[in-house]
Amino acid sequence: MIYDIRHVTRFDYGHAVKFARCNLRLQPIDWPGQQVEDYALTVAPAGRTHPARAEAGLANVTRLVIEEPVRRLTIESRARVRVDRLVPVPQADDPTLAEVARMARGSTDLSAASPAAYLYPSPLIPPDRAIADYCAPDLDPSRGALEAGIALARRIQRDFAFDAAATLVDTPPHEAFAQRRGVCQDFAQIMISGLRAAGLPAAYASGYIRTIPPPGQERLVGADATHAWVLLWCGPARGWVGVDPTNGIWMASDHVVVAIGRDYAEIAPVDGVVLGAGAQAMDVSVDVAPLDEESAAAAAA
Amino acid sequence: MATQPALFDAASHAQRWIEEYRTHDLRGDVLAAGADPAWMAAFEELAAVAGDDLGQARERVQRHAADIGTGFRIIDEEFERPWPVSPVPLLIDVQEWRTIERGVAQRADLLETIVADLYGAQSLVKRGHVPATLVTGSPYFLRPLVGVAPAGGRHLHVVAVDLGRGPTGEWRVLSDHLRMPSGAGYALENRLAVSRALGGLQGRINVRRHAPFFAAFRAGLASACHRADPRIGLLTPGRYNASYAEQAHLARYLGFLLVEGDDLAVREDRLYVRTIGGLKRVDALWRRLDPRLLDPLAFDTHSRIGVPGLIDAWAAGNVVLANSPGAGVLESAAFAAFLPQLSTRLTGADLILPSIATWWCGQPAEAAHVRAEMASMLLSSAFGHPLAALAGTTPGAELTAEGRAAFLTDLERRPQDYVGQEIVRLSTMPVVIGDRLEPRPFTLRVFAARDGDGRWQVMPGGFARIGEHPDPRAAVMGEGLWSADVCVHGAEAVAPVSLLPAPDSLHIRRNPGTLPSRVADNFFWLGRYLERGEALLGAIRLMLGNSIDADTGAALAPETVGRLVGEIVAAGAAPRPASLRRADLVPFARTALEAGEGGWQSVAQINAHARRIGAVSRDRLSADMVRLLDAPFPRQPGMLERCGSLQRRYAAIAGLSAEHMSRTAAWRFHDLGRRIERAAATARATRAFGLAGASLDDLTTLLDLADSQISYRQRYLTGIARVPVVDLVALDPGNPRALAFQVEAIRAHLAALPVLDDDGMAEPQQVEATALHALVTTAQAATLDAGTLGEIDRRLATLSDAVAHRYFLQGAEALRAAGLTLA
Repeated sequence: MIYDIRHVTRFDYGHAVKFARCNLRLQPIDWPGQQVEDYALTVAPAGRTHPARAEAGLANVTRLVIEEPVRRLTIESRARVRVDRLVPVPQADDPTLAEVARMARGSTDLSAASPAAYLYPSPLIPPDRAIADYCAPDLDPSRGALEAGIALARRIQRDFAFDAAATLVDTPPHEAFAQRRGVCQDFAQIMISGLRAAGLPAAYASGYIRTIPPPGQERLVGADATHAWVLLWCGPARGWVGVDPTNGIWMASDHVVVAIGRDYAEIAPVDGVVLGAGAQAMDVSVDVAPLDEESAAAAAA
Repeated sequence: MATQPALFDAASHAQRWIEEYRTHDLRGDVLAAGADPAWMAAFEELAAVAGDDLGQARERVQRHAADIGTGFRIIDEEFERPWPVSPVPLLIDVQEWRTIERGVAQRADLLETIVADLYGAQSLVKRGHVPATLVTGSPYFLRPLVGVAPAGGRHLHVVAVDLGRGPTGEWRVLSDHLRMPSGAGYALENRLAVSRALGGLQGRINVRRHAPFFAAFRAGLASACHRADPRIGLLTPGRYNASYAEQAHLARYLGFLLVEGDDLAVREDRLYVRTIGGLKRVDALWRRLDPRLLDPLAFDTHSRIGVPGLIDAWAAGNVVLANSPGAGVLESAAFAAFLPQLSTRLTGADLILPSIATWWCGQPAEAAHVRAEMASMLLSSAFGHPLAALAGTTPGAELTAEGRAAFLTDLERRPQDYVGQEIVRLSTMPVVIGDRLEPRPFTLRVFAARDGDGRWQVMPGGFARIGEHPDPRAAVMGEGLWSADVCVHGAEAVAPVSLLPAPDSLHIRRNPGTLPSRVADNFFWLGRYLERGEALLGAIRLMLGNSIDADTGAALAPETVGRLVGEIVAAGAAPRPASLRRADLVPFARTALEAGEGGWQSVAQINAHARRIGAVSRDRLSADMVRLLDAPFPRQPGMLERCGSLQRRYAAIAGLSAEHMSRTAAWRFHDLGRRIERAAATARATRAFGLAGASLDDLTTLLDLADSQISYRQRYLTGIARVPVVDLVALDPGNPRALAFQVEAIRAHLAALPVLDDDGMAEPQQVEATALHALVTTAQAATLDAGTLGEIDRRLATLSDAVAHRYFLQGAEALRAAGLTLA
């Protein structure tokens, strides 16, 4: 499947902003099962952009510097991504959760893709007893890792209500957990918290899901904005397997990964500092359209 | 010989103290083997200054510490607490010290090698010598810094190591401090306080000095910079940090600029400080800011105290950071467990100073050992994260059955979060409790810094923390804890070290360098607040009937009192009283003098503003000045007495700033603030009391407010008349209290302060000052009217704004751009 993605972020500032430096983590990464074929970033008014030096998570980062006073900033990110990811099927010989935990602890890889990087609490996902207890029934150490992962994602999808008004971008996991409602970020953080409490390596994935469902299927939740879900490392053979607790499904060909980190703070699509007084308003629109084979061929030619 | 009995007494007091001390259980005490001559000398010196009263000796040392300005803050407390320093130093023989010195230097070299590998080739992890999870567990492993070679070539410039002395006298490492090694300033201050109190001891037992260590540290940091005469800053989180006082002291001692994040800016990957002369390059920072807050672009976007772009400047090799931001990864208790084997592997040598035995449960064998032996261990967080099953560091033996079960369950799930450590028994040392010596366990913090050749120099001494608990590691400075000076002594006399560099290596500098904009701002407002407080106090005193004019008696005419009340109300110091009767004026005066709430700009409030500025300027103010600013509000029973006491304090402060501050740019801003405030006050007083139709009481009041009674009498023998009074108070450039005098001083200051361009054009604040000067010098006393005086007042406000705009940080609020709508 090939997707054309258009992600527009508009900032309106109450007063002119004097000096802004931002990190843009908008260009999708190449990742098993997906490849970025084309990418364009447009900023208006045009600031200086250059690739940022290094990052905490797995992300393509562009540093944006605007030195002229601006009252409005528009960032448009366009990507064409080929996604070719099968729905994972749990097998009897999948490593158990106990084996996954043990192998992760023994890792000799310090890179950002290593399970070792995702075993510990992170700033936005501190350890939480209640969440750990809630997740524990699905995480018996002797259970197969994939089977356990999808079971927990489905239980969260069943037990929690999607409610965009219930939480904010900085609502901590324990609050969303207590009210059993929230959005994709909350569900992903709750699931990650539970997995890590059980000693498992779990990462936060941000990205997109297709806007219009295939004929005869329902539209997925989170299709008109950026989406977030969970990656669980399932041993060296299986690698990172994605599960989406908002929809109770696997990450497969409807999902496009933009960035992977320990939590949202590491891979926020736009963050940074602006100098100025007064409020800012932000508006985001996302469109993820599958390209049919014909137009894809035409585009390639 | 009058001194002999005293000396004899001192020796006998010391003897008796020690005998009394030896009635305690001293197994493992530093005096277990008896008091050697050095300890005897220390106690004799104590007795020589305090007689038989140990409590007095303690207070004496405390008083010196307070004089030096040492303090520390408990988080969320408004006032600093006095630094608890014990009068009895810890004495360590130079032979014993050599082992510590070699051990700490060896350890620092090892730590440098490991940090460089973790942020470089990572071969220790790839080869399996260091588990990846031992690194990622630390909140101070900063992945964005992997692959960055540190500017200046080194990750570590200054380290601190906490040591414990075991009961048999062997020293072992309790913890390493690489992120923000604090306490070097306390060591300095303890030494200062104790040597002021026990002056004779230093020479008597040849105590090694601290100064060469600090000189070496300075030279080491400077040699890592590109420029020959580098500008070095000490980056502080600000005055609410627990050790702000220590940071200010160190900055002053080392000659570093004390800066906050706001003072710094990064342009084109270079670091600058905002000064009154524009942006100036900064070559190195000793950072006392948590690494994760250093740069909101690199780490935590929420940080409002960091410097956006600092990490890029560091990665580009343009600014040296002491220490490199990711160095804290080695501080974890878990990592300490690996140092002995890493030392052998990497250097072929064992650690001279062993660490306390630590088992990291992230490895199966170690976890099994802790499970089996937990009853005899201290259980703790491997990386400082909050734990699911332990409230904090806990002796395994103290766990309840439930707690034990919870610990074992979580140890199964997340073994990597836990360490077991041997329970250390620490050696004790004498400390004064009440008026007796009692043994208390202690730890020793030792500091090492690289010198100009990149070699480690260890500060001879350090500081000792003395606690109530047998293992004081968990305790923070606070109630029940003491610190002590640590004296390394020996038979050899200490060479008289000259701290002065060779004469040809230092050029003379009369201007002490760059004045950061923040400091200029603070000094300007310190001047304004002090002058404002003094003027308000003068008005209150006059209103209370304290005129010095015997002719008019104590009572002023009601119209004049009414005008005084009007001025105090206009200053926002108190609400208008219901009447001018004494019953209403006394509470009115009380509000204006000392209201602490209600939003009134009382004298007490203005003093509080000045005190806050003093608190953040202590690296540049004399200790006397800070003490005067910090002095509590007077408490005499009578309001007039309180006024008098305040008046004398203001006079003392004014005297200090006039006579003791060097004529630097900082002083100019301080004086500029005073002059602008005084000019405005005089313009307003002249308008209230000096216009046509003014009564004799009005004119007397004006002379009093302008502190010009005596000048007037010396000039005019004929009595008080309006035009000469107005001329003296407003227009006479020879009267240091006159408006004209202030305006001339303002113009001179602004002419002397730096300008941004050398095109010879006046800057806006200079234009304003010149215009104001012209307005005042061309005015005539007979025709000076309310309109002109109002115009002068307005122009002073404009001038103040122009000064602020040109020289001070413009408090632009940083907003976060983070946060997208998610679904």
